[in-house]
Amino acid sequence: MIRLEDVSVTYPGGVEALRGIDLTIGDGEFVVIVGLSGAGKSTLLRVLNGLVPATSGSVVVDGTEVVGASAATLRQVRSRIGMIFQTFNLVNRTSVLNNVLMGRLSVVPAWRSTLGLWPAEDREAAMAALERVGIVDKAYVRASNLSGGQQQRVGIARALAQEPGLMLADEPVAALDPVTSRQVMGDLQKINRELGITTLVNLHFLDLAKEYGRRLIGLRDGEMIFDGDIADVDDDTFRDIYGRSITDEDLLAMGDSPTDGSEGG
Amino acid sequence: MTATTQRPAPPRWTGERRGAIGVVLLVAMVWSISGLDVTLDRLLGAPSDAWAILRQMIPPAFARVAARGAVGKVFESVYIAWIGTVIGALLSLPLAFMAAHNVAPIWIRVPIRQLFNAIRAVPELILAVILIPITGLGPWAGTLAIGIHSIGTLGKWATESIESIDSGPIEAVESTGGRWVSSMRWAVFPQVMSTISSYWLFRFEINVRASAVLGMIGAGGVGSELVSHLVFRDFPAASAVLALTVGVVLTIDTVSAAVRRRIITGGVGGDDSSRSAEALSDLTGINHR
Amino acid sequence: MTPTPGQSTRPERPRLRARTVGIAAALMAFSVFAAREVGFDPSTFWEVWSNPLWEKFWPIPWDWVFDSGNVLQPFVETFQIATISTILGCGLALPVSFAMSSLTTPNRPTYLVSRAVMNVVRAVPDLFWAKLMVTAIGIGAFAGAWALTIFSLAVMVKLFSETVDGADPGPLEAARAAGGRHAPSLRTGILPTVFPDYVAHALYVFELNVRASVVLGLVGAGGIGRVLEAQRQFFRFDRVLGMLVIIFVVVWVIEQVSVSLRKRLI
Repeated sequence: MIRLEDVSVTYPGGVEALRGIDLTIGDGEFVVIVGLSGAGKSTLLRVLNGLVPATSGSVVVDGTEVVGASAATLRQVRSRIGMIFQTFNLVNRTSVLNNVLMGRLSVVPAWRSTLGLWPAEDREAAMAALERVGIVDKAYVRASNLSGGQQQRVGIARALAQEPGLMLADEPVAALDPVTSRQVMGDLQKINRELGITTLVNLHFLDLAKEYGRRLIGLRDGEMIFDGDIADVDDDTFRDIYGRSITDEDLLAMGDSPTDGSEGG
Repeated sequence: MTATTQRPAPPRWTGERRGAIGVVLLVAMVWSISGLDVTLDRLLGAPSDAWAILRQMIPPAFARVAARGAVGKVFESVYIAWIGTVIGALLSLPLAFMAAHNVAPIWIRVPIRQLFNAIRAVPELILAVILIPITGLGPWAGTLAIGIHSIGTLGKWATESIESIDSGPIEAVESTGGRWVSSMRWAVFPQVMSTISSYWLFRFEINVRASAVLGMIGAGGVGSELVSHLVFRDFPAASAVLALTVGVVLTIDTVSAAVRRRIITGGVGGDDSSRSAEALSDLTGINHR
Repeated sequence: MTPTPGQSTRPERPRLRARTVGIAAALMAFSVFAAREVGFDPSTFWEVWSNPLWEKFWPIPWDWVFDSGNVLQPFVETFQIATISTILGCGLALPVSFAMSSLTTPNRPTYLVSRAVMNVVRAVPDLFWAKLMVTAIGIGAFAGAWALTIFSLAVMVKLFSETVDGADPGPLEAARAAGGRHAPSLRTGILPTVFPDYVAHALYVFELNVRASVVLGLVGAGGIGRVLEAQRQFFRFDRVLGMLVIIFVVVWVIEQVSVSLRKRLI
C-alpha cells in the first residue's frame, strides 16, 4: 500500500514540481496518471522510490517511510519496486539477459554482481521473467538489435525479475507506435491482474488511459486535480487537467499515425 | 503477447573469452615484471624508501630555493614555452593552409603533411639533445626544440580545423573572381581562427610542462634546478622547486582554459574535446597522435 | 528603424575596442621581453643548418645497430616497461575516473578529492616523475615503470573521465531504481557501455608509453632511451641516428596496429 501525505517537491532550480499531494493507493490497483508535460507525473513516480527526494511530506510504501530514509533503506524499498522508463534505459551494448539480470542487483551479493558472476537461481529468475513477457528467445541478443516494443518488454522483464510488489511505469509507450503501445499496455494490465502487482502508469494519451486504466489521477502544475474512476472522466474534467479542450493530439488513435505497421513480436 | 517457450542455449564464448583475456593480462604482467629486475626485497623496500624521501620533502625549503634564483628559472621555463609556442604557431599557420585538402593541391599538401608527421615523431627532448651540441646549452636550445616540435602538432591540428569548415564561403569568393589568397583571408580564416587560437593556447599549456622537462638536460628553465637538488639529495629544496613548478603550471592551465572558453564561445566555436585524445597525449611533450 | 524614402540612417562604424588593442599590445611586449630572456637569436638558424657537427651523424653503422645486444635487448625492456605501466596505470584509472565523474561518483568528498589530486598529478611534468623515481628507487627499468605508471594514470584518467561524463545515464538510473549498490550499479549500468572506449584508450596509452620510454632513458630510467643517452654522451651521433631510425619505424608500426585495433573497437 502506498500513502502520500502532503508531499511537495521543489527542485534545486526553484521549480515546484509537486505541491501538497495526498494520495492513497491500495494493493493490486491499476492507476493511470495523466497531465501535461511538466505537471509532475515523472516526479510523482520518482518520489515513491526515492530517486527524487521529497522536499516535505511523508511517503510511506508498504509500511516504510521513504522521505529521509537511509541509503540502505532506500535500496531495500527499491528492490521491491520495479520501474519502467520512457527511453527503456537498457544497456545497449550488452545482451537482453544481462539487462534483465540488473533486476536482481538488490538480492545478489555486491561482489558477485560486480564481477558478473550471477548465481544460477537469479539467472533462472531472469529467464522466467523473459518468458513471461514472451521474448525469451532473444535472451542472448544484443539489446540495441531489438525493436522499440521488444526493448520495452525487456524493460518490463527487468522490473519483473525483481519480483516486485509495485510497478512504476514512466510514460512507457511514449516512444512506441500505436499498435506496439497497445501490446505493452496489455502486458502491464495482464501482469497486474495475474500477479497482483500494484501498477502506476504515466500516460500521455487519454484514449489509451481509458482503455486500460480503472482509476485515473490527473495532475496539473504539481497539484492533484482529479482522482477517481476513469468512467467519470468527461470533457470538463479534461479541461481541468489539461487547461484546454481535448484535441486530436491527446488521443493515440487519431493524433499519431501508425508508422510502420505492426511492431514487435 | 505471443509466448515463445524455447530457451536459447547460451553462446559458448562469453565466459571463455573473459577467462582468456584474464590469462593474457596475467602473462603480460609476469613477463614484463620479469624484465625489470624486481626482487622481492626491492618491491617491499620501495614503499618505505619512497616514504622516507617523502618525509624529507616536507616542509619544502622555499626560502633557500628562492635565494638560488629558482623563481627566475621557473619564469624562464614560461618564456621558453611562450616563444616556442609563438614560433610554432606563426610557422605552422601558413603551412597548415598548404596542407589542407580542401584548399591546396595534392602536390603541395602531401609533402607538407609528411613534414608535419616527421616533425611530430621526434620528441622535443630528442630535438633538444640534437640541438645542444650545435646551439650550446641554455634556453635557446629548449626554445628551438619546442618551437620546431610545435610546428608539427599545431600544423596538424590547424590542418584538420581548416578541413572541417563550411565550403560555402570559399565558393562565394571564387564566384566573385577572387584569388586563392583572398579566399583564404576572407572565407577560411574567419571560420577557423578562433579554434586555431584556442589550440595555440592549449599547446602553450603543454609546452610549459615540456620546457620544465627540457631544463633537465640543460636546455634552460627550472628542470636543471630539480635535477641538481635531487642529485645532491636535498629533498626539501627539490620539493620546493616541484611545488613552484606545479603552482605555475596549474595557474597557467586555469587561466588558459578560461581564455580558451571565452574564445570558443565568443567566436565560431570549436570542439576541442575531440582533440583531447591527441592533445592530452602531449602531456609529456613527446607523445602525440 | 524604417528609413523614410530618400533618407537612411547609417550605423556608426564600430571602433576597435581599447581593450582589444591593449591586450594585443601587452602580448607583443611580453613576447619581445620573453624573446630576449631566452636568447632569441635568428642567426643561429643558419648556424644550425651549416654546422659541421652534422657530419658526425653519418654514416649510420647498421652492423652495430642490428647487433642484438645493443638495440634489441633494450627494446624488449622498453616493451616490458610499457606493458606493466599500461596495465597498472589504466587499471587504477578505472576507479579513479569513476570517482572523478559527477555521473558515477559515490559521494561529494570523493569527487572533490579525486579531482584535486589528479589535477596536481597532471601538473607535474612527466619526466619530473621519472627523475623522482630514479632518485627514490635507483636507476633502471623499475623506476621507469613506476614513473610511466603514474603518467599512464594521468593520461588515462583524463581521456576516460571524459568518456564517462558523456555516457548515457539511463541504464545507471535503472540499476539504482532496482536497488543496486554503487559498484554493482556501475558494473551493470555504465561499464558495458564505456568498456570499448576504455580498451581503445588503453591501447593508445600503451603507444604513448613506448614512445615515452625513449625519453625516460635520458634520465636513466631504463629502456631504449638509456642506450640512446649513453651513445650521445660518447658523441657517437651516428649510432644515435641509427637508433632513432629504428625507433621511428617501431613506433610507426605500433601506431598502425593500434589504430586498426581501435577502429575495430568503436
